[in-house]
Amino acid sequence: MAGKNLYLGVGILIIIILLAGVFMMQGGEEQATQTGETTQAGQTQEQTQQETKTQTQTEAQAGGEVETLVIGAPLSLSGKYAKEGEMSLMGALAAVKWINDNGGITVNGKKYMLEFKYYDDESNPDRVTSIVERLITQDGVKFLLAPYSSGLTAKAAPVAERYGALMLSHGGASDKIFQQGYDYLVQILTPASRYFTSVLDMVKAIDPQAKTVAIVYKENEFSRTVAEGAKAYAEKLGFEVVYFQSYPADAQDLTPVLQPLKDLQPDIIIGGGHFADGQLLARQINELGIKAKLVGILVAPALPDFYKNLGEAAEGIVYPSQWEPGVTFSPETTPQGYEWYGPTVEEFIKYFKEVAKERGKGDIMPSYHAADAAAAILFLAKAIEQANSLNPDDVRQAMNDLALFTFYGKLKIDPETGLQIGHDMIVGQWQNGKKVIVWPKEAAQAEPLYPKP
Amino acid sequence: MVDVGLVVANLVYGLLIGIIYGIATVGLNMIFGVLKIVNVGHGAFIMVGAYVTLLLFTLAGVTPPLTIVASMAVGIGLGLLFYYLVIKYLVDAPELATLLATFAIGVLLQEIVKAFMGADSRGFTWNLGNIEIAGVSVALSKVIAAVLSIALLGFLYLVIYRTKLGLAIRAVVQDKEGAMVVGVDVDKIYAISFALGIMVTVASGSILAMYLQSGIHPYMGEIYTLKGFVIAVMAGLGSIPGAFIAGILFGLFENLSYVALQSIEGVQPLVLTRSIAFLLLLIILLVKPSGLFQR
Repeated sequence: MAGKNLYLGVGILIIIILLAGVFMMQGGEEQATQTGETTQAGQTQEQTQQETKTQTQTEAQAGGEVETLVIGAPLSLSGKYAKEGEMSLMGALAAVKWINDNGGITVNGKKYMLEFKYYDDESNPDRVTSIVERLITQDGVKFLLAPYSSGLTAKAAPVAERYGALMLSHGGASDKIFQQGYDYLVQILTPASRYFTSVLDMVKAIDPQAKTVAIVYKENEFSRTVAEGAKAYAEKLGFEVVYFQSYPADAQDLTPVLQPLKDLQPDIIIGGGHFADGQLLARQINELGIKAKLVGILVAPALPDFYKNLGEAAEGIVYPSQWEPGVTFSPETTPQGYEWYGPTVEEFIKYFKEVAKERGKGDIMPSYHAADAAAAILFLAKAIEQANSLNPDDVRQAMNDLALFTFYGKLKIDPETGLQIGHDMIVGQWQNGKKVIVWPKEAAQAEPLYPKP
Repeated sequence: MVDVGLVVANLVYGLLIGIIYGIATVGLNMIFGVLKIVNVGHGAFIMVGAYVTLLLFTLAGVTPPLTIVASMAVGIGLGLLFYYLVIKYLVDAPELATLLATFAIGVLLQEIVKAFMGADSRGFTWNLGNIEIAGVSVALSKVIAAVLSIALLGFLYLVIYRTKLGLAIRAVVQDKEGAMVVGVDVDKIYAISFALGIMVTVASGSILAMYLQSGIHPYMGEIYTLKGFVIAVMAGLGSIPGAFIAGILFGLFENLSYVALQSIEGVQPLVLTRSIAFLLLLIILLVKPSGLFQR
């Protein structure tokens, strides 16, 4: 009897391990469904090529002297990043349209209209590399937007580097890619390590008494980079980091991690990771009755479902965001040392909506993904004009001295690494069941609710 | 130094989550006990229960404890459906066949729910305030979830040990041929036992949803399949009260190992807690392979 049970036990153990394997390989499963969509993606490509052709033709007919400058990109229009990829595409097209409507760009006295050439990378790393190669070698593109996400950007960067084509990352917040010594890669969005700097700056400004910070984050690369960046910045500002703990990606109950916070009573709690765990974190902080003056959580609170799921527990929760349609950046609020360029927030939304309608997406608002991509186009266009050259090396050089203020906020890069150092995250907060922007002051819609009720 | 308050808090929370783990494993163990089938799709049934509560509460405003009744009905329905469609033909089949079949049922349920509800992680808020247990503040909804788990276990106990049906079930477990000889319809008993097991499992999903109130998504059950196996093997496959007690022990162990690990410098305890739980399983299998509560 015992012997039989032993076999059974061992058998069960094997099943558990197999199951765990299946569980881990969720990602692989997703890829399999993606390949199923190849034909559809192929069609999109053909359409795209036709679209771009007709666009060039009309432009050629319109003006004699006007030339076309092509900006290329691999974008995820199918697969797991399809939503974000589509947003990026529409944002980029909106910016291109604005620039062309406002006279294009002038290089060496010659006028150039921009054309945006893109292929669907199917959210697939292998497609990304071949598309970047095709754009550079066959389409002769010298300026590129990176694909969406840090993972795909990391795949595209070495190819662009090899050919000396300049690439702007609008969807890769990872710091790591920029530590690899790429000369032709430039970042537009705020890197993960600086996600919480605005939140900490805000606390420092409105409550100099706040002293202690607790950081609780999900155990993955992105969240860890965010948490470590936040820790370093908090210490730089003179805060004391009294608690620094992570939890596994699939945690269902954070009570043990949060329990010590009851005694520590930190002034500030920041952390989180993604949607599900961010929600859990907010709920359990509330459930355990942990009182902090500010609770800042990554990703989850930026989505409307957050309040729907949490109700009261969401009230007062703060989150960092790259951009929101409600920001009030304008030419008038341009900070010292920065130069305004590009559409106003209203103009950008108007152009975006036109593009969305043309692409049959209906009446939708741009997400921050769209703003990231549009900002990349603006930064690139301005740098080309500034360099007065179409040579990627000259343009890259010009970017080092560029300090732009746009509908997206500040844009400035670290000359050495290409890392974004100008753009700050904006801080949003749930107030009375609505998301409002509370920081920075130039973009704020309301006063921060502090301390958290 | 380990903080006493922290240990007490983790004991209380460990006990509560342990009770939930326990009830979430009982169905798995019951099905194995009677039909000798390992339900690899176990977690998917828990997920279904969580969705029943989520939907009834958010759409119809039904108070979560009452949704358990609906979950039990759904569980019996699903149990009978899958028994007569699939399991019936596999009762005496090789183990691999039942493993694959129940795995397939699990995936099927996940994909159906995903098709209708989407893959987003959902949640709801049912806040009744907090109460104090041994000086530890606990959400009342969590305590109610634990109490309901015990009630559900009690109900199952009554069915098995105080009814004629239960007598028949126990007879089949002890001696299938013997039961058949004295006129027990074994096929029917199998169907009822499977349905009862699934009923408890789906109902435990409702209880779990009440306890966590977040993280409800089509794949949420997978982790409970894993934990369920650990707990079931710990208890000894087939034992119903054993599964419940082992669940409590597992919950306590998880939370206390967390406190212990936390006192070690430079360790991220919650990340390690899970591997420690599986280490415990290995040790139990080596020392007492028949499980803690199996004679």
